[in-house]
Amino acid sequence: MANEAGVSQINPSVTDAQTGAQRARTSGEVIAQFKGQTLYYQDRPVVRDLNFSIHAGERVALVGHSGAGKSTVLRALRQQMQSECAWCPQDAGLVPMLSVYHNIYMGALHRHGVFYNLANLVRPWREPWQQVRKLSVELGLEHLLSQAVEQLSGGQQQRTAVARAVFQRQPIFLGDEPVSALDAFQAQQVLEFICKRHDSLVLSLHDTGQALRFCDRIIGLVEGKVVLDTPALDINQSDLQALYQ
Amino acid sequence: MRLLTVLAALLTSLTFSFSTVAEGFRFTAIPDQDESQLQARFGKVARYLERELGVPVTYVPVKSYAAAVTAFRNNQVQLAWFGGLSGVKARDLVSGSRAIAQGYEDQFFKTYLIAHHSSGLLGQSTGDKFPKAIQGKTFTFGSKGSTSGRLMPEFYVRKHLGQAPDKAFDRVGFSGDHSRTIALVQSGAYAVGAVNYKVWERALADGKIDRNKVDVIWQTPAYPDYQWSVRGDVDQRFGAGFADRIQSVLLAIDDPELLEAFPRQSFVKADNDDYRPIRDTAVTIGLIDG
Amino acid sequence: MSISSAHEFHYRTALGPLSRTAALLTLVGVMALLLADIEIISPEPGLELTRMGLGLLSPRIPDQYVFVEALLNTLSFAFQAMALATLIGFLLSLVYRLAVVRAFCAFIRGIHELFWALIFLQVMGLSTLTGVLALAIPYAGILAKIFGELFEEVSPQPRNNLLVADHISAFFYTTLPLAWRSLCAYCSYRFECMVRSSVILGFVGLPTLGFYLESALREGRYQEGAALLYVLLLLIATLRFWLRRALLPVYLLAAFLLLPPVVEVSWDGAWRFFTVDIVPAPLRNNSQAQLWSWLTLLWQQQLQPGVINTLILGMAALLVTAMFALLCFPLNSPHFVRGWSRRFGDAFLIIGRTLPEYLLAFVGLIVLGPSMLPALLALALHNGTIVAHLVGRFSESLSLRQDAVRGVNLYFYEVLPRMFRQFLALLLYRWEVIMRESAILGMLGFATLGFYIDSAFEEFRFDRAALLIICSALLNMLADALARYWRRRLHLNTTPETL
Repeated sequence: MANEAGVSQINPSVTDAQTGAQRARTSGEVIAQFKGQTLYYQDRPVVRDLNFSIHAGERVALVGHSGAGKSTVLRALRQQMQSECAWCPQDAGLVPMLSVYHNIYMGALHRHGVFYNLANLVRPWREPWQQVRKLSVELGLEHLLSQAVEQLSGGQQQRTAVARAVFQRQPIFLGDEPVSALDAFQAQQVLEFICKRHDSLVLSLHDTGQALRFCDRIIGLVEGKVVLDTPALDINQSDLQALYQ
Repeated sequence: MRLLTVLAALLTSLTFSFSTVAEGFRFTAIPDQDESQLQARFGKVARYLERELGVPVTYVPVKSYAAAVTAFRNNQVQLAWFGGLSGVKARDLVSGSRAIAQGYEDQFFKTYLIAHHSSGLLGQSTGDKFPKAIQGKTFTFGSKGSTSGRLMPEFYVRKHLGQAPDKAFDRVGFSGDHSRTIALVQSGAYAVGAVNYKVWERALADGKIDRNKVDVIWQTPAYPDYQWSVRGDVDQRFGAGFADRIQSVLLAIDDPELLEAFPRQSFVKADNDDYRPIRDTAVTIGLIDG
Repeated sequence: MSISSAHEFHYRTALGPLSRTAALLTLVGVMALLLADIEIISPEPGLELTRMGLGLLSPRIPDQYVFVEALLNTLSFAFQAMALATLIGFLLSLVYRLAVVRAFCAFIRGIHELFWALIFLQVMGLSTLTGVLALAIPYAGILAKIFGELFEEVSPQPRNNLLVADHISAFFYTTLPLAWRSLCAYCSYRFECMVRSSVILGFVGLPTLGFYLESALREGRYQEGAALLYVLLLLIATLRFWLRRALLPVYLLAAFLLLPPVVEVSWDGAWRFFTVDIVPAPLRNNSQAQLWSWLTLLWQQQLQPGVINTLILGMAALLVTAMFALLCFPLNSPHFVRGWSRRFGDAFLIIGRTLPEYLLAFVGLIVLGPSMLPALLALALHNGTIVAHLVGRFSESLSLRQDAVRGVNLYFYEVLPRMFRQFLALLLYRWEVIMRESAILGMLGFATLGFYIDSAFEEFRFDRAALLIICSALLNMLADALARYWRRRLHLNTTPETL
C-alpha cells in the first residue's frame, strides 16, 4: 500500500474490502478535495467553483436550502472515496420485498463470497445475523428483522438504511439527510449511533441544531455556492438560520 | 381413497401408453381419410397381427403422410401402410427396406377428378379424354404427399394442360385428405378436385355423396399405389425370417371384416420394382430429386 | 369578400410523430388489404355455420379415456416446457445486455413452436422431448427478452448503494427481488399461452387436445370439437384457482411421471438431420455449381411469394387488429360500460384471447373457404381482443372531469386521444407476434411462408425447409427491431406483463 500517506486524495486507494477491516487514517490527512470544480447533475451545472478539502477525523455538516446542491456535493465526495465510505443516500434505496435483515446485510455483501451471500439469502448465517441484530437493537429495529421492508413506516425504513450503511464498516460516513424522517429524540439517538462508529463524517442536515451539536465544521451552500465554511464553535444557530432566509 | 387408486392406475397406464411403446412391434398407416375410421380400421389389424406374429403389436396414429414416413425412417414404426409416393420416399430413406404386399386393387389404382355442379363440367362426358375445360377453375388436391390425391393428378394436369397447377388453375388448394376433398368439392368451395377412387366409392356406398352436386368427370389411367413396407432391420430385432412372416401373414388375410377396413378384396405380393413408375413420375414433376 | 377571406377557414392538420407513425401503418395496412386475397369462397357458409352452432350447443365427449389422456398430456407438455423455458430464459436474461444474446433470443423466438415441432419430429419422432423442446425453445427466447427488460427497468438505486460487491451477489440481493413480482406475473400469463401452444402442437401429431380437436373439426364432428374447446376454455379460465405456487412442484413431478422426457431415437438420426438433411441439395451432391440456380429457383418459386404474402397478411392483420381493438376496448372501459355489462364485455375479450389464432383460422377456413380472409379475421380477433382488454383496463386510470361529454363524443374527444399513445405501444408490441403467426398460418393452406415450409417437410426437403424457416425468423427479427425502434423514438413505454 504505497499510497497510504495521502498520495492520491482524488483516487483513494482501494481498501481491504474483502476483509472489511477498517483502515485508520492518520488524523488530519486530506481524504477528499475540490479545487475549483464545477459539479453537474444530469448534465446541468449545480455547484460551481467548489474549493475545499475534507480531512480525516473531521465531522462536517452541509447545510443549506433544499436544491442548494448538498446532495450533489455528497455524491461527488462519494466518487472520490468510493470504497472507504459508508453511504447513506437520501432516497433509502432499499429492496422493499426483502427483509430488514437482508437489507442491512447488503452492507456486508462485499466482505463475503458469492456462495456465502446466496446461502444467506435462503437462510441467514448465525454470525452476520447476530451482528445485524446487535446494530438493530440500538436502532430499535430488533423486532422487525424478519419483516419485509415494504411493511415498515418511513422512519423505520430510514433507520434500516442507516444500519445498512453502518454495516458497511467504513471509516468515513456520508449521509444525505440520514435522519430527516425521524422525530427529534430518535434523530439524536441515530446520529449518536453514527458518530460513535465513524471517525470522519459528512452529513447533509436541514436541522441546524443537529448540525451544531454533532459536527465540528459547518459548510453552508446557497444556490450552488459555498458561502460559509467555518468551525462549529465559531458560529451559532441564528447565524446559520440566515442561510435559509 | 378410491380417487387415489383411480389416479394411480391412470398414471401408470398413461406412462405405459406413451413412453414405453418403444417395446414391441409397431406399425402406422398414412392418414388418407377420416381419422376416426383409421383408428377403428387399424386397431383390428393390430390385434390380428399380434395374434398371428406372437409379439405385442401397436398401431401408432399419425397426422400426416410425412409423419408416417418420418416414423418409419426413425424406426419408431417397423411396418407401414403407405401410399405409392410415401412408400417410395420412405424406402429411399431407409436402406434395406422393402415393399412386401399391396392390395389386389393397388396393382391398377386410379384417381377420379370430381367436379361441383356449378362448374358446368358435369354431364358433358369427355370419355377417356382429359377434360381440358377445368383450366382456370379452382382445384383442390388431397394431401401434399398423396399419390392419388397429388402426384398422379398433378402429372396428368401438367401433361394435358402444359402448365404447373398454380398457373393452370385460378386457385389451388390441398385439402389434407380424400374425405375432405370430397366435402370441399361437394360444398362448392372448389370447383374441381382429385380423389382416390376407393375413398370415393366407399363414400358413395355410405350415402355421403349427392351426385347431383358432385360427380366424377374423368379417371386417370391405372398406376400402382398403396402397399405395406417393412424396414430391413426387423429380422435382426425380431428374429430371422420375421419380414417374410409378416408378408405371409398379410397375404393370408381373408377375414372380410379386416379387408373391408382398407378396403381391398385381398392382398398380393409386391416388391420395390413395382413402384418404379411412381418414382419416375415423382421425379418428372419435381417432387423427388432424381 | 375581403372580410370573409380574413376569416378564412385555415385550420391545418399538424401531424405529430405519433400520428405520422399511425398514418404510415394505416397506409401500409390499407395497401396490404387491397392486395390481399380476401373473398369468401365457400358458396354456402351459412350451412356449415349452422352445424357448428348446433355443435357448440350440444357438446359431447367422445371417449372419456382418450379425452382425459389428451388433457393430461396437454398439461404435462406445458409444465415441462414452462420449467425448461423459464430456466433457459432466466440464464439468457442474465447476459441479455450482449447484442449477440439479444439477436440469438430474437432468432429462436422468431421461429414458431409449430416449426420447431416439425424440426424435432424429424430428429426425435413423436417423443415427449419433441413437444417439450418445441415449446420450450421459443418461449425461452420470449422469457429471456421480458426478464432482461424487467431487469433493466428495476430501480438502480439499491444496487448503486452497495460497496463494490460481485455481480452475482448484487444481482440476487437487489435486481432479482426488485423484479420478482413482475417476473411471476409474467410467467403465469405465459403459462396460459403455453397451455394454448401445447394444445396447438396436437395439430402436427403430438397427443394433446389439439390432436383430437383438429380431426373433430376437419371431419365436421362439431359436438366433439365443442366439448374439447370448452375444456380448453375452462382450463384457462380456472387457471388462477389451481395454478398455486405451493402446488407447482407437485404438478411438475406429475408431469414428468406422466410423460417422462425419454428420447428413443438414436443420435445418429439427429446428427444426420443437422449435417446432411438440411444441407442444400447441390452442396450435398457435390455440385456446387448448381447452388446458385437452386437458390434462384427457390427464391422465385417459394421464398419471394412466401415473404410477400406473409408481409401482406401481417400488415393487413395489424390494421384490422387495430380497428378491432379500437372498436372493442370500450367493452372493458369503465367510462363506457359498468357493472355486469362490463364483466360480460371483458369476458368476450378474454374468450377471444383464449382461443388460439391457429384454431380460429382453421375454423374460419372450414366456414369461409381458403382465401386469406379466415387468417386475417383470426389474427384480428385474437390479437385485437388482447389489445382491447389491456387498453380498456388502462383506461381505468383516466380521471375525466365531472361534466365530460358522453358516448361517441366522449370516445373521440376525451378517451381515445389520451389512450392513443398506450394503444400504439401495445400494438407495436404485438406486431412481432402477428408476423410470426402470419407465417405459421400458411400451414393451413394460406400462401404465406408456412405453406412452403409445410410443403418442404411433406416432400422431405429439409434443406429448403431450413432456409425458409431462417427467412421467416429474419422477417420476425426485422419486425421486432422496427417496433423497438419506433417505441424508443416515440417514447412509448409499456409494461409488457401480458403481451
